[in-house]
Formats: sequence, C-alpha cells, structure tokens
Amino acid sequence: MEFAQMPKCWRKQTKPHKFCPGCGHGLVLKALGMAIDELDIQKRVVFGCDIGCSLLAWDFFDVDTVQTHHGRTTPVITGIKRARPELIGIAYMGDGGGYAIGSQHLVNAAARNERITAILVNNTNYGMTGGQMAPTTLPNQKTETSPYGRDVEEMGYPTQGPEMVAAITREGAYVARGTVARFKQLQGYLKKALENQINGSGFSFVEVLSGCPTNWRTNAKETWEFIEKDMAKYFQVGELKGSGGKEG
Amino acid sequence: MATKDELVYAGEKGRFTLYTGLCKGCGLCIEKCPTGVLDWNDVLGVYGTPSVLPVAKGKVCTGCGICQQLCPDCAIKVERTRAG
Repeated sequence: MEFAQMPKCWRKQTKPHKFCPGCGHGLVLKALGMAIDELDIQKRVVFGCDIGCSLLAWDFFDVDTVQTHHGRTTPVITGIKRARPELIGIAYMGDGGGYAIGSQHLVNAAARNERITAILVNNTNYGMTGGQMAPTTLPNQKTETSPYGRDVEEMGYPTQGPEMVAAITREGAYVARGTVARFKQLQGYLKKALENQINGSGFSFVEVLSGCPTNWRTNAKETWEFIEKDMAKYFQVGELKGSGGKEG
Repeated sequence: MATKDELVYAGEKGRFTLYTGLCKGCGLCIEKCPTGVLDWNDVLGVYGTPSVLPVAKGKVCTGCGICQQLCPDCAIKVERTRAG
C-alpha cells in the first residue's frame, strides 16, 4: 500500500503515528522526511530520539533509530558519528530534554563543534507528563505547574536556545529557528542543516516552534494563533548563523 | 497499519482525497484553508472524530494543496487538475 502524499522515508506500517491530533511533531517529522528524500540520504541516516513526546518517533522513519533518555541523544549520535563518519546523525529532542535536563549535552556538543544535526522541538511545556512548565514556557503562560501564569520575577525568563548555540559555536555551524506554521521555510532550514553536516562544516542546530493542543487545551484556531503570534513574538524565527555568509 | 478507506471529492480545479484511517480530526487544515471550503463531515476518522471534506456551501476548492502540506498525519492528498 502506498500513500503518495507521505515522504518516502516514512515507515508506512506505523501510520497513523502515535502523536496526538494536531501535534506539531508530525509536521516537523514530515518536513524532515521531505528533506531526507530530497537529499536522497535515507540509507545513511541514523535517527536518535530523546525521552518525552519525541520518543514516539522511534518507529517513525524507515531508517536506523536509537532512543535515549534526557538529552543524551546528542552525545549518542555524536559517538555514532565519530565511529562512522560516513553516516548522517540526527539528534531529535524536545525542549525539556534539550534545554532542561540535557542542556549540558547540547552546550558541550555545540562548543566542541560536533558534526551532527540537532533538531529541537519547542512546544513550551512538558507534553508527555501532562503539560508542566518547561524552560521555554512563555511569560504569563499558564501550565499545570504555573497555574497563575509564569511569573518571570519568580521563575525567570524562557530559554532562547538558538541564540545561545549561535553564540558558542564556531564558524561553519548552522543555527536556525523555524516554525511549523511556515512549512516550506522549515523544510529549507532542515535541508540546510543536513547539508551542513554532509559538508562536514560543523554543528547544525534547528529549533522548531511547534504546537501542543492537548496540553495547551486549545482548539485548532487558538493553536495556530499561539504558534504564530505569542510564540513567534518571543522566539524570533529565522536563520541565526551560517546562512551563506549573512547573519541575523 | 492505516486502512485505505478514502473519501474523494473531485472538484473543478483539483481532486481531494482524505484517508479516514489517518485523519485524527485536529482541524488544523480547516483553519489554514485560504478559501474556507474545508468543513467537517459525518464520516469518522481513526479516533472517532469527524473527518474533513472541501464541501462548505458557497465556497470553491482551488486545489492549492495547503491542507495537504499542513496535515501532520498526511491524511490529505490534493491532485491539481491540469488546465486545458
């Protein structure tokens, strides 16, 4: 059976996938699948997923996949890439794994300029455990553990991941922030991030603004509004480093 | 694995196919449809939620394919009818 509209590298037997209705992961993985198809690298890709909702991608692609815990997908993929440099390593994680419990791995891999591609899906909360406050929760946003809204005096400001990674990486790195609301742009960013690794230039990092209708308790209209207005206002979408010479 | 049950709407500009075994009824496509032609219908999707078809009254599907692009589950396929 063939679904012509699906990327070729998707594993058709596992569809419909395990993500909630309206989840942004499906869109990010679709953009990633299309980028992999365009570059024709399905046989060389090793896909590493993290703990949290992102682990539900463990059977998503028809590529070799490994699942690790708490941001460790970055060092595991780094190890695989060092042992087998001809492979293309993709570390896929959520904002909880990448910015909270596993941020040391992301920071160190970026500082060492490892030749891997890290993709971080930012949905402003911990989706799998029920929508608790995450490092990326917006100021005044209500979550399970910030029922009166995130107070920046008490709880600090949200993490600006790509800005941090762009500041600590060397020349040759690629850093961008995309959003599921601009699908073609996101696909282009992911393709550039993979090409950057194939060329051996350095660390590639793409953060993606994504939706979590289940935990935000939003309908389709409110989900798009939150992604396009509230999130994009705080997290500026665009390429931060390595976009062919021009930065910013 | 998803069944291949499909709903087809053959419009003037394009052929719209919805795979009910993949549609989870999130409604993201309805909000993003530029002409507002997408609407819920009575056939249920994989989670027992209504599925979508481009059948809203007084609107026309232009076959732009934005719904196909933005469906997180790849439940929609749009084939544009060639002019002429």
